[in-house]
Amino acid sequence: MKKVVVNPQRCVGCMQCMIACATAHSRTQSLFTAALETPTPKPRVHVGAGLCGDGFPNRCRHCDPAPCMLACLPGAIHRDPELDTVRIDPDRCINCASCAMACPFGVIRYHVDPLGPPGKTVAVKCDNCVDRRREGRIPACVEVCKSGALTFEEMGAAMKRQTDAVARSVASEVEGKPAIPAGVALHRALRRASWEMNQERKENSHEG
Amino acid sequence: MALDYVIIGNGVAGIQAAETIRRLDRTGHITLIGDETHLPYCRPMISMALEGTIDFPALTIRGPDFYEANAITPILGERVAAIDVDGRAVIIGGGRRVPFHRLLIATGADPRPVAAAGLDLNNIHYMRSQDHVRRMLASIDGARRATVLGGGLVGFKAACGLLRRGVGVSLLIGSGHPLSMQVDDEAGAMLLAELRRRGLDVRVGAAVAGFEGENGRVRSAALKDGGRVDCDLVVIGKGVRPALDFVPRDRIPVDLGILVDARMETGAPGIYAAGDVAEAEDIARRTRWVNAIWPEAVEQGRVAGMNMAGRQVAYPGSLSRNVIRVFDMDAMTAGVVTPDDDGLYEVIRERDAGGRLYRKLVFREDRLVGFTLINRIEQGGVMTALIRSRLPIRVSRRRLLAPDFNWSLLLP
Ligand SMILES: Cc1cc2nc3c(=O)[nH]c(=O)nc-3n(C[C@H](O)[C@H](O)[C@H](O)COP(=O)(O)OP(=O)(O)OC[C@H]3O[C@@H](n4cnc5c(N)ncnc54)[C@H](O)[C@@H]3O)c2cc1C
Ligand code: SF4
Ligand code: SF4
Repeated sequence: MKKVVVNPQRCVGCMQCMIACATAHSRTQSLFTAALETPTPKPRVHVGAGLCGDGFPNRCRHCDPAPCMLACLPGAIHRDPELDTVRIDPDRCINCASCAMACPFGVIRYHVDPLGPPGKTVAVKCDNCVDRRREGRIPACVEVCKSGALTFEEMGAAMKRQTDAVARSVASEVEGKPAIPAGVALHRALRRASWEMNQERKENSHEG
Repeated sequence: MALDYVIIGNGVAGIQAAETIRRLDRTGHITLIGDETHLPYCRPMISMALEGTIDFPALTIRGPDFYEANAITPILGERVAAIDVDGRAVIIGGGRRVPFHRLLIATGADPRPVAAAGLDLNNIHYMRSQDHVRRMLASIDGARRATVLGGGLVGFKAACGLLRRGVGVSLLIGSGHPLSMQVDDEAGAMLLAELRRRGLDVRVGAAVAGFEGENGRVRSAALKDGGRVDCDLVVIGKGVRPALDFVPRDRIPVDLGILVDARMETGAPGIYAAGDVAEAEDIARRTRWVNAIWPEAVEQGRVAGMNMAGRQVAYPGSLSRNVIRVFDMDAMTAGVVTPDDDGLYEVIRERDAGGRLYRKLVFREDRLVGFTLINRIEQGGVMTALIRSRLPIRVSRRRLLAPDFNWSLLLP
C-alpha cells in the first residue's frame, strides 16, 4: 500500500503543504474560498523549525499499535483498515487531550474543524486524505510538495517497522526481557529516522 | 488442552486483557466476573454525565455484542469473595467455585472512605461508578448548594460538573491547591485562580468534622476549624484505594496494591493483576507505585493479557500522567512533578509574562523524569515518550522548553 513518506532533509520550509492540507480539509475545497470560511480551515501537517532552523514537516505516522488510540477515553480513535489510516471520529471526541499526552510525534491539534460538528472543539490530525484517495487522487500535501520532502510511495516494511517501534516503545509493548527498556527501541527509531533523513531511500527505489 | 482464563473486574483493564487473550488464543475459555452489570464503559467520563454534556449511553466503550463476539462468558452482578490459590479457583456468591488456569485480578479501586459524623444522611455520595452518578442526579433536583470534599481528580471533576449544572459548589481541600498529587505549587496556584475566577468557592486547608441534616437530608458540613458550609448535596472525592479485600495476602503479596512484576504477574504463579489494583515499578520514580489512571489500566490490561496467553511481553514500568482541561486552561503533567530537594534532580522552568504559560521539566542524571505544562500542551506526548523511553537527553535542555519544540530537535 502506498504511504506518504517524509524526507525532511529536502524540506525548504515553504509551507505549501500546510496550505494545501488546510484547503483539502475545508468545506469549499478551493484555496481562495477556503480562506474566507468560518471556522478557518487549519492544516493537519505542521512545518516546524528543525535543528538548524531548516524546515521539519511533521504529520501523523498512523502507528500500529497507535498510542493515541489506546489512550482515547471514549474510543473515538480507530484504524480504518482500507487505507491503514488512524482516524478520529469528531462526533465521539470529547476534547480531553488524552491523545496529546500519548502521541510520541506531537501531531494532534485541537480546534473547531470545518468538517466536524459545528462549534465543537475536537482533536484533529492527518487522515491520509481518505476522501481524496477514494476519488483516486493522491494526498494534497504530496501533490503540492515540489521539493520531494513529501512523497507518496510504497513504504518498505522495514521503514514501517521502525515507525511502529517508536509507537510500541510508548505503548509499553516491548517483547523480550524487562532488561531491554523501551528506550532502546525509541533510540534506534530516532537514529533510524535521522538516517532516513540523510540517505536516499534505496530500499524503496525499486518499488512502484 | 484449552486453558481456563478467569478475569475479575469488567473495567477497562479487564476488558483489554480479555480482548488481548482472545486475539492470541482462539480456543481458551475466558470468564469475566464483574459486579457492574452495565456494558463496559469509560469511568473517567462519568463526570460528564453528571455535568450533562453527554448522556449515559455515550459512556459505553464496547457494543452489546462484546462478550459474544469475543466468546467471553460473563458472570455479571457477582462479587468475588475469595481466591483459592492452591485449589485454582475463585469463589463467588453462594460458595460457587470458578476454576482457572490463569487468573487476572483487575478489580480497580474503591473510593477512600472518610471519617466524619453524619455520613448516614441522605445526599452524601461517592463518585466512582455510573450508578453513583445516577443516584446523584436523582437527588440533584432542588439541590442548590453542593459541597465537594477533596481536590484530587474525582473531587475536582465533580465540582466542575456540578458548577456547570448550575449548582453552587464549595470545594474543600486539605492542601494548598487542587490536584496537589498531580501538579506543583505554581501550576496549582494557576489552577486555583482559574477555578475561583469561574465562580467555584474553593477553600484550601479545609477539613470536615461531620455533617448535619434535617429530616434525614444533609444541610451543612461542619469544618474542623469550627466553620460551617451550607449544602444539600455532598460528594466525597478523597482519593481511592485498591479493591483487594478478597485477596489472600499470605499467598499473594500486597503492599498498597497487589505487587506485580514486569509481566504483570503477582507473587503467585499464574495469577496476574492490572490496573488500579496493581502496584508495578514506576519508571520515573524508580520505585513501586500504584498509578491509578486510565491509560495505565489499558496498557497493563494488554500486557497481562499477552503474558497470560503465553506471549512473553515485558512492561517497561508505569508512569503517572494526567491531562486536565479546566475551562480555558490546560494542564498536563507526568512523572516526577515536585522532586525531593536531595540533589538528585535538576529542574528548569519557563513562564511567560502574561501568566498563561508555565513549563517545568525535571531531570535526573541525563534523563527527563517529569514535566508540568500549563497551556500549549500539544507536544506533551513527545515528552511522555522521552520519559518512558529513558532516552538520554543529548541536546540542550533549554531547547525542550521552547514553545516551538518538536521532536526533530531530539535527533542525534
Ligand atoms: C470520576 C472519575 C474521573 C476520573 N478521571 C480520570 C482521568 O481524567 N484520567 C485518568 O487517567 N483516570 C481517571 N480516572 C481513573 C480511571 O477511571 C481508572 O484509573 C480506571 O477506570 C481503572 O480501570 P480498572 O479497570 O483498573 O478498574 P475499574 O475501572 O475500577 O474496574 C474494576 C471493576 O471491577 C469490579 N470489581 C471490583 N471488585 C470486584 C469483585 N470483588 N468482584 C467482581 N468485580 C469486582 C468493579 O465494580 C469495577 O467494575 C477517573 C476516575 C473517576 C472515578
Ligand atoms: S500516536 Fe500520533 S503519530 Fe501515531 S497514529 Fe496516533 S496521532 Fe498518529
Ligand atoms: S481528545 Fe478526542 S480523540 Fe483525543 S483522546 Fe480525547 S476523545 Fe480521543
